[in-house]
Amino acid sequence: MDQSPTAPGTIGGGAAMTAERPLARVPLVLNRRNFSWITERISGVVEQPAPRWWWVCFTITGTIAAFGLFCLGYQISTGVGTWGLNHPVGWAWDITNFVFWIGIGHAGTLISAILFLLRQKWRTSINRSAEAMTLFAVMCAAIFPGVHVGRVWMAWYLAPVPNNYGIWPNFRSPLMWDVFAVSTYFTVSVLFWYTGLIPDLATLRDRATTKIKKFLFGFFACGWRGSNRHWRHYEMAYLLLAGLSTPLVLSVHSVVSFDFATSILPTWHTTIFPPYFVAGAIFGGFAMVLTLLIPARAIFKLQDIITPQHIDKMAKIILLTGSFVSYAYAMEFFVAWYSGNAYEKFAFWNRIFGPYWWYWWVGMLFCNVLSPQLFWFRWCRRNIFVVYFVCMCVNAGMWFERFIIIVGGLHRDFLTSSWGIFIPTWVDIWTFIGTLGIFTSLFLIFIRFLPMIAMSEVKIVLPEADAHFHGAADHHPAAAGGRERA
Amino acid sequence: MKRRIQHPPEALTGKKYWRSLGEFSDTPEFREWLEREFPAGASELKDDEWSRRGFLKLMGASMALAGVGLTSCRRPEMHLVPFTKSAEWTIPGKFLYYATAMPRRTGAIPLIVTTIDGRPVKIEGNPLHPASGGATDTFAQASVLDLYDPFRSRRFLHNGKSAEREEFSKYLDTLRATLRGNGGDGLAFLVEEGHSPTRERLRVELEKAFPKMLWCVYEPAQNDVPGYAARIGFGENTRLIPKFERADVVLALDSDFLDCGEGDLASVRAFTSRRRVSSAKDAMNRLYVVENRFTLTGSMADHRLPCAASQIPALAYVLAGKIASVTNDAGLTSLLGSMATPPEAQAFDDRWLTEAVNDLISKSGSCLVLTGAHQPVVVQLLVYGMNSALKNIGRTLLVREFPGNANTKTILQLAGEIGAGRTKQLFIFGGDPVYNAPRGLFQDPETKAALDWIDLQKKVPEVVRLGYHEDATSAQSSWHLPMAHYLESWGDALAADGSYLAVQPMILPLFGGLSEIEVINALLGGPNIEGPELVQETFRATNPPGDFATAWSNFLRDGFTAHVPLRDRPPNFNGSAAGTQIKQLWTPKPAPAKDSPEIVFVRSYAMDDGRYANNGWLQELPDPITKLTWDNGAMMSPNFARSLSVETGDLVQIEITESARDAKDQPIKRELVIAALVSPGHVENSVTIPLGYGRKHTGPIGEESGFNAYLLCSALTPHFAVADGKTIESIRVTKVGKKYPLSITQEHWAIEGRGIVREATLERYREDNDFVRKSGGADEPQRFLPSLYSHPPLTAPQQWGMSVDLNVCTGCSACVIACQAENNIPIVGKLQVAHGRAMHWIRIDRYYASAKPFNEDNGDWPENPEIVHEPMMCQHCENAPCETVCPVNATIHSEDGLNVMAYNRCVGTRYCANNCPFKVRRFNFFDYNQRPVGKKKVAGQFSIYKEYFAPFTNKGAPDITKMQKNPNVTVRMRGVMEKCTFCVQRIEEAKIAAHVRAGASSATHIPRDSFTTACAQVCPSEAIVFGDVKDPESKVSKMKTQDRNYRLLEYLNVNTRTSYLARIRNPNPKMPDAGNIGVASPLTEKS
Repeated sequence: MDQSPTAPGTIGGGAAMTAERPLARVPLVLNRRNFSWITERISGVVEQPAPRWWWVCFTITGTIAAFGLFCLGYQISTGVGTWGLNHPVGWAWDITNFVFWIGIGHAGTLISAILFLLRQKWRTSINRSAEAMTLFAVMCAAIFPGVHVGRVWMAWYLAPVPNNYGIWPNFRSPLMWDVFAVSTYFTVSVLFWYTGLIPDLATLRDRATTKIKKFLFGFFACGWRGSNRHWRHYEMAYLLLAGLSTPLVLSVHSVVSFDFATSILPTWHTTIFPPYFVAGAIFGGFAMVLTLLIPARAIFKLQDIITPQHIDKMAKIILLTGSFVSYAYAMEFFVAWYSGNAYEKFAFWNRIFGPYWWYWWVGMLFCNVLSPQLFWFRWCRRNIFVVYFVCMCVNAGMWFERFIIIVGGLHRDFLTSSWGIFIPTWVDIWTFIGTLGIFTSLFLIFIRFLPMIAMSEVKIVLPEADAHFHGAADHHPAAAGGRERA
Repeated sequence: MKRRIQHPPEALTGKKYWRSLGEFSDTPEFREWLEREFPAGASELKDDEWSRRGFLKLMGASMALAGVGLTSCRRPEMHLVPFTKSAEWTIPGKFLYYATAMPRRTGAIPLIVTTIDGRPVKIEGNPLHPASGGATDTFAQASVLDLYDPFRSRRFLHNGKSAEREEFSKYLDTLRATLRGNGGDGLAFLVEEGHSPTRERLRVELEKAFPKMLWCVYEPAQNDVPGYAARIGFGENTRLIPKFERADVVLALDSDFLDCGEGDLASVRAFTSRRRVSSAKDAMNRLYVVENRFTLTGSMADHRLPCAASQIPALAYVLAGKIASVTNDAGLTSLLGSMATPPEAQAFDDRWLTEAVNDLISKSGSCLVLTGAHQPVVVQLLVYGMNSALKNIGRTLLVREFPGNANTKTILQLAGEIGAGRTKQLFIFGGDPVYNAPRGLFQDPETKAALDWIDLQKKVPEVVRLGYHEDATSAQSSWHLPMAHYLESWGDALAADGSYLAVQPMILPLFGGLSEIEVINALLGGPNIEGPELVQETFRATNPPGDFATAWSNFLRDGFTAHVPLRDRPPNFNGSAAGTQIKQLWTPKPAPAKDSPEIVFVRSYAMDDGRYANNGWLQELPDPITKLTWDNGAMMSPNFARSLSVETGDLVQIEITESARDAKDQPIKRELVIAALVSPGHVENSVTIPLGYGRKHTGPIGEESGFNAYLLCSALTPHFAVADGKTIESIRVTKVGKKYPLSITQEHWAIEGRGIVREATLERYREDNDFVRKSGGADEPQRFLPSLYSHPPLTAPQQWGMSVDLNVCTGCSACVIACQAENNIPIVGKLQVAHGRAMHWIRIDRYYASAKPFNEDNGDWPENPEIVHEPMMCQHCENAPCETVCPVNATIHSEDGLNVMAYNRCVGTRYCANNCPFKVRRFNFFDYNQRPVGKKKVAGQFSIYKEYFAPFTNKGAPDITKMQKNPNVTVRMRGVMEKCTFCVQRIEEAKIAAHVRAGASSATHIPRDSFTTACAQVCPSEAIVFGDVKDPESKVSKMKTQDRNYRLLEYLNVNTRTSYLARIRNPNPKMPDAGNIGVASPLTEKS
């Protein structure tokens, strides 16, 4: 724990290693930043007074969030009819938003758990904020299934509470599975995130200047002293939680997809949905991580920690998962044709030429299939503006995708007499915008009060964390990219 | 401690006990109670809102003192007794059934009314009488809601101020004295068409007392043309009764005889009985229809020829010519001889008419030619001539004696009297002439201005109005009296076939309303009568057999009496009288053109002539053809709409300019701005506007709905207006350029090649009686798949199921209202319907079909399509997709095969509705039963409903509307899902009754077909059949074994309990349009 405020910001003073050794790995932290610099820079965000831009942003997002909460109150007090739902479209923006937010959460868990198990050390720069994003996204997601029901005050019927009527929830219902999947996911994600926070909370505790901060950070740091024993337990817990979270990454969105896949509606009743939804979730989630981190790294001058290399890697993941998603889209059309089922064929025809045609052409085709193709080019992956543009496209595209699946499947199903159309009301729109406000407000609070980058983990990937580190001149390979924690 | 009810004082009778109710009812006290106008405690009811408690008290009293099955069911009151101290012979919560009849303009419909705790809650047809056969129609079903209309008239008004009843009695006394003096000079009555022998008897008495009085009948949706024509053709007091059960071929010229809302249920049943096929060997009748717009009759047609309504006379001329030339009938030939050939005679499809005539002639004596009541006298007489030439009169068309009164005047004659200043006192019973009388009734001789009824009524010094609502006519009257509902009043009526029916009250007038006969009796100075005496007197005059009391009580019990004979006249058509008339009246109208279309006024399927304007059920009833709710529209063909460049919902202005009536006066321009409604199958250059909408002043429900087409109707244009240059100079239809929000419940019209409705021609059915399996397309299962889920065992001894015969379903929608009345289904309002949130548990899907495929998404409408109707309600799937997805087990399967809903358990995820392939589940998006949904929001010049903020509204429905609710069915709150239950409350009632009957024995089986669902019970054509599918002898099982039986979306393996019988059309292969008939089924490779 380097607490010296006078410690130099870089390790040694040597020239860039890449120039000397062209085949060496690009370091994960640029400009040879040392432990001290990292602590100062990241803790500094929390310890300095809130900058003016933060207050401006928070006021705006907080107001939006408050208006969103007002819409929820209106909806709960007056009825689901305040939304544009109807017969036959029983779900629209509510479940679209639910799936959208749940999907976003996936990137955080993927980064923190799967990449951890795969020893992808670059994850350390982004996992903390990605995990926080997961939590906030799941919170936003959980609002919708909660309030979209007709009688919110009876929603506890979904919980398997023993009661004197002897009525259990219907365990055959995918909505029931959702309840379990999402609540498990949220619980494990909170635990995982919090476990990772403990060493950093201790750092903040040690640096705290007021009693209250000291108490609070101390309380949540659980008495962390950085002893070997602590590290040993900590790492074991972290590993176990990573192991626990990994199947959840795959299961949660698979279960969410069962809401549709186990039903009988054309375009919903599809076996491809679980992998398709998981890929889409990671796709959308990474886009959202980048959406949040690209401004954050610029504002807090964290370019040395969240480097172009990180962005490049995430862009590649977006390209990969985007390709999965595109493949799934193509497969849906193929199967609809190949199945010979007239209802399926019609539903997909209707998807591209029906009343919601532009949702598909713009939302799915352009945003989700075409825009990530830019990431085949290194220049695009390295250009912040292109990356940001594609991420925004993907964010929007994934929302459209869910809307097309849900409303597209419902508005024209079997009997042509019951075909209808869905038109959102202002309550629909503002409830969704409100959750964006809630999400960004929570994120702003997070970066204001907690270290947005996992200091302890980033330090581990620094060259000097290596036991064999001998200064800048050291030609040990570990200096290029850190080494495994063992 | 036992509490006893205090019975009426006994000391006065001198008897200690009465041994029977009959004995009791003969006491003077009973007479006294009968004579009391109002029950004791009725003074409590004067407030606008009276409490439920007060009501129950009063009802308790009436129940406590009910003389069940006695001389009356209007119960004399003595004491106010709450239900907790009920008398021993009343069983709270137990239904009681009374026979009565609903008076209608063509004849009353015999009914059985279900009452509970003294309130009528449900209306059914009287199965004992052929005029109903147990069926009813939309209006009879909805009339129970009118009884509890919170906005019905509740008080006497004198010059716009509340008055006491006694003041009116005093007024009548002075009036009577005046009239006695002058012989009734200046006295006039304007009444609705009714067929009450008692009213007729009292009218004759009035005429005796006041010989100079006038009696005028006005019905906006019916005129005196058929009566007049029948008088010419067959003599005084005749009515023609069609016998569809004997007709093999029917040709309808602008006649919507299958419109069961007209009340002719016997004809609907008789016609459909000839279309009911149980195997390919059965014969079917054949229906040819010529009409300008799609009607229910047109949708049942085997061949349908669109023809402008104004061209029906010319078409009838051509038809008659063809018939005459083949049959060489002298009468018809001479009729035609007196007519000039209309110039448009060449414009009709000659082959169509020739083949239709050949078909008619081949069935001479067992065919029928009909025309609508609104077609001119010439057409009526030509049709008689054709039927006479075809030897149908006396066979398929009976000439029945039907009482009439030659002194009856029309509203035009009354207008003349008023205009001349001769009318001093005018009694208006019912109707709403200010709203619906023809415009320009009278031309002021000095100013030459055409006066409307409202101007004329102002000229009458004293107007007494007996009205159900305080409407526009009441506002212009010196006296307004609240009218009693027919469920509140004594009366009698003739059915459409002339048989004699009883009208008895179920409940005391809720707001002290009076019936017509009570007012007439009061004017005559008769004794103040509360009971059935007036009706009894009429009944006594018919000489009932046996002792009077028994005959009377049987009359009330059965609802009708058989001893009044129906007399048929010899079938002699008076051709020469008809010829003279035709010669005078024959003025063919020019054919409408694109820039001068005809405007056709028809009564609305939902509002009738506007009398149901404040009835929410009917306002929300989708029009059977257009599926429009809460509004009317200007129906026009797709091509005509295109030429105006309007779409459905665009406002158009309709302008009728009447010719100047003499050199001095100005032409009268009548204008109406109305929303266009594009209707495939409508004839070109013709616009049809349903009447009955836009009637303000009846209450909040009627206020916001539709456009008042009466503003365009003048005495010259009762049914259709066409610019002929003589009476009407020009007719213009122009686009306004604004939109109007229309609430249409079905947006898509094409079947899209799906096997939803299966249809074939009789010929194909005979070739391949398994065609149903082959026309299902993708809906037929490849093989049955096992279900992944376990299902509750269907072990109950009786298993419920339903079958719908599409071949006889006319789409009349009576089932929709019956279901609404039975199951406490709320109305949701216009905006909510526009949002797609109508709550009906049963809907009638209407599809257009055409041999040439069409793509309505691209604005490509079918040319001259056919219509198929399909009632759609919960199909009670055995593998119900809704059940597996409900997270809280709120919808599950019962052992007797019902898909049941536990409202209390439902949290409202709507997943079940999403997963329902039939989209029949209905969600309570708002608290429709508890809170008024929607304040008015002004959109341009029109108002629509807007969403509301529930916390700022008052919770709770008015008590009076709660009284209609069926106590056996839960009233659902917001946020829960609901759907058709197969009337589970009726099943349970039948089960309980069976168990009670069985006692200790195990014979708890419900007798076969002993009860049915509300929709099946109401159906005039018996298209819906419900019953035990496990019993091979039940009606429903027999229907399901027919080869036309199919189930919807079988490939989903949902195993529906409801099945459909495919529709069969019977086209004439020689007809030019034979290839476009029976084409609703998809074409499949297999066939």
